[in-house]
Amino acid sequence: MDKKKIEIDRVFQALGDATRRAILERLSFGPMSVSHLAEPFQMTLAAVVQHLQVLEEAGLVATEKTGRVRSCRVESAGLNLAGEWLKARRPEWDRKLDRLGEMLAEPEDPQSLH
Amino acid sequence: MNTMEQQAVVHNTFVVERAYPVPPERVFAAFSDPAKKRRWYADGDSKQIESYDLDFRVGGGEHYASGFQEGHPLAGRTLKSENIYRNIVPNRRIIFTSTMALEENYFSISLGTVELLPSETGTNLVLTFQSAFLEGADGPEMRQAGWRTLLDKLAAELGR
Repeated sequence: MDKKKIEIDRVFQALGDATRRAILERLSFGPMSVSHLAEPFQMTLAAVVQHLQVLEEAGLVATEKTGRVRSCRVESAGLNLAGEWLKARRPEWDRKLDRLGEMLAEPEDPQSLH
Repeated sequence: MNTMEQQAVVHNTFVVERAYPVPPERVFAAFSDPAKKRRWYADGDSKQIESYDLDFRVGGGEHYASGFQEGHPLAGRTLKSENIYRNIVPNRRIIFTSTMALEENYFSISLGTVELLPSETGTNLVLTFQSAFLEGADGPEMRQAGWRTLLDKLAAELGR
């Protein structure tokens, strides 16, 4: 996917639909062709492609055409954006204590050994 | 209407728990040693540290002043927090009172309790934070500012 700016609104709008979340869940096992992806869904291939388009515009899915087969995979940009957004909404102390955990995970300063 | 007249107080209590794979002595040191405390308490913030000091003893204080970064709607203004330590049981418990203010405008007064419980794998930390928020003080302004900073940060992240 190109350097197009992804907007948080688009990401959450795309994730706000059960079918699109199901598509994303199916894709999380690995890349697959669009027709294989569409198999378990009770809808036309065209409808699945439409959902994929929304996911692609939100930076959640990337599609690629190789010969006559269009394959798709999970794109991390949109997921990272959503994850960062949710993480930053956590209370101040939650974040502070995570930083404390990161600090405590470092090897102990030899001077403070008891 | 005068803002003092419409100022409401909102009370809130939250509990945060963490399990750290190190003994309580090391977790406690991260609270009592000023250099260690500063690293996780202040340094990782997106704000600029203007001053930080810690006097870790009962009755002792901790002051942290930070400024908002350039381009932030609150740039040039100082966020001040002050903690006063009320009860310290080495390696077990720390209780402190805490105030937060934008310049001289106080918006929260809190009681914080940190409990360190030894476990088989290290330490379970339980933080209980009980606050009175002076809602009219600047709540919406601060919230909006926080949002904007975040979205700017995200945009920068995506541009990499």
